Amino acid sequence: MRRAVGRWLTPLVLLAAAAGVVAWAHHGADAAEAGVLATANLARRLREHVGLCAASTVLAVVAAVPAGVAASRPRWRRLGAGVLFVANVGQSVPTIAVLALAFSVTGIGFRTAVIGLWAYSVLPVLRNTVAGLGGVDPAVVEAARGMGLSPAQVLRRVELPLAWPVILAGIRTAAVVNVGTAALATFVGAGGLGDLITVGLDNQRDRILYTGAALTALLALAVDWALAVAADLTGPSRGNRRSSARI
Amino acid sequence: MIRWEEATKRYGAGPPALDGLSLEVPAGETCVLVGPSGGGKTTALKMVNRLVEPTSGRVLIDGADVAGADPVTLRRGIGYVIQQVGLFPHLDVAANVATVPRLLGWDRRRIGARVDELLDLVGLDAATYRHRRPDELSGGQRQRVGVARALAADPPILLMDEPFGAVDPVTRARLQDEFLRLQRALRRTVVLVTHDIDEALRLGDRLAVLAAGGRLEQYGTPAEVLGRPATDFVAGFVGAGRTLRRLDLLSAADALVAPGAGDGPSVDAAASLTEALSALLTSDAALVTVRRDGAPAGAVTLDSIRAALRRAPEGEAQPGLEHEGAADGDGEGGDR
Repeated sequence: MRRAVGRWLTPLVLLAAAAGVVAWAHHGADAAEAGVLATANLARRLREHVGLCAASTVLAVVAAVPAGVAASRPRWRRLGAGVLFVANVGQSVPTIAVLALAFSVTGIGFRTAVIGLWAYSVLPVLRNTVAGLGGVDPAVVEAARGMGLSPAQVLRRVELPLAWPVILAGIRTAAVVNVGTAALATFVGAGGLGDLITVGLDNQRDRILYTGAALTALLALAVDWALAVAADLTGPSRGNRRSSARI
Repeated sequence: MIRWEEATKRYGAGPPALDGLSLEVPAGETCVLVGPSGGGKTTALKMVNRLVEPTSGRVLIDGADVAGADPVTLRRGIGYVIQQVGLFPHLDVAANVATVPRLLGWDRRRIGARVDELLDLVGLDAATYRHRRPDELSGGQRQRVGVARALAADPPILLMDEPFGAVDPVTRARLQDEFLRLQRALRRTVVLVTHDIDEALRLGDRLAVLAAGGRLEQYGTPAEVLGRPATDFVAGFVGAGRTLRRLDLLSAADALVAPGAGDGPSVDAAASLTEALSALLTSDAALVTVRRDGAPAGAVTLDSIRAALRRAPEGEAQPGLEHEGAADGDGEGGDR
């Protein structure tokens, strides 16, 4: 019950905080700051930021979940270990370097930033997909096979539903990290809230810098909240509670 | 009818997991594969539904080599119960039990009716348990659901791998009783794996005793295995208490002598000789009156128990199918 209240209080608190940040940004801004901090400009940067995160996260899920499934099939299992190793090494490369690499291939713009973010967020999803599928009780999988579920049915009806909370946790990590990382997209000219931060830094305008940083942090919290709710709605624990209530 | 013909399984080098098993389980009987771990019991069991493919030899169901069947179709026609139960934790009891009927495309009404019928059959109140999740059940209840799930599509064959292994002794005994009751009513062809000789003697129409290295040491009825162990290994595995265990297989009626006094200790004619002997040992009397429908029908004495043990058929020790296999010869050629 307390948890449920917290759940629905969070978005209200986040919205209030965002409104507070915007009000503070407008209040007492001088003429030079006012243009950058205008509501329309903030909304545009926010939209860009959300677009970058959404595109890269969705693409990461589309690539990493099937790859994780493939890597955890018995015949590919050895390959799976290799894939994880490469992905782990990849993760240790600094984001800015990944962006620079992507920049050298695709130049300036949205596409470059998405590629950079994507490369960085594939790993958590991939790792959690492999871990989630690996964590499914082998007895359950064997029972499913022994009862005559085809390999595809075992995957769809048993393995993926059971691994889903872990996979979703990976997606949540990737998405939240992406919100922070997308602040670097400004360096490849893809906009986003990072623009406010760099403009603030370059011009020593703390008001702009703080506004960009605060909005980025609030967006990360909002994304984290949304995916936590998604986990609750789709996870087995909720169904559990509902079915007990029916008895 | 299930038949293993020279079925062998090797994993890499070293001794085989199962070494040339030849065995036939008649339809409607319970065959218990029993032995210490490393005896290849589970391997032999899983060859029937093709979770394990033999390295050489073959397994036939009603005369047809399972290797020729589509594994998915084959498995839908064979009930399968494993020790860890393997209930789907994300599905409720009803959905677990309905797994195979759903795969077979039954309509919803038929599935619902079948689920209730099966839960009733395994002694679970359908209204109470239908919508519970596996983690809301006790170990014994989970096992029952596992059995109900295996029986859902009414398969003629049931494979049970240590089905009562993960529960406490009291629950285990009750589940064994219920298994016997169910099997008397349903007469499925059952292959059951256990390492517990008492469970094997209790549940099996026939026992196949497997030793480490996957060798079949003896195949016979419980009375045969107890009365005449084929090898030292079997004698050792059955244990020093085998004479006492044989008393479990005999009833008071088997050791009846002329009617006794009628007072003192008494047992029912259907009681085992173990009970009769216990009654004898815990009283000062020299005989225990045996009652049939309450009326004295005779008595049991120490001498009559001894005589009954001598008389009781110990059976021919039957090492697998060796002589039969050679006679009908159809298992010898082909795909080895």
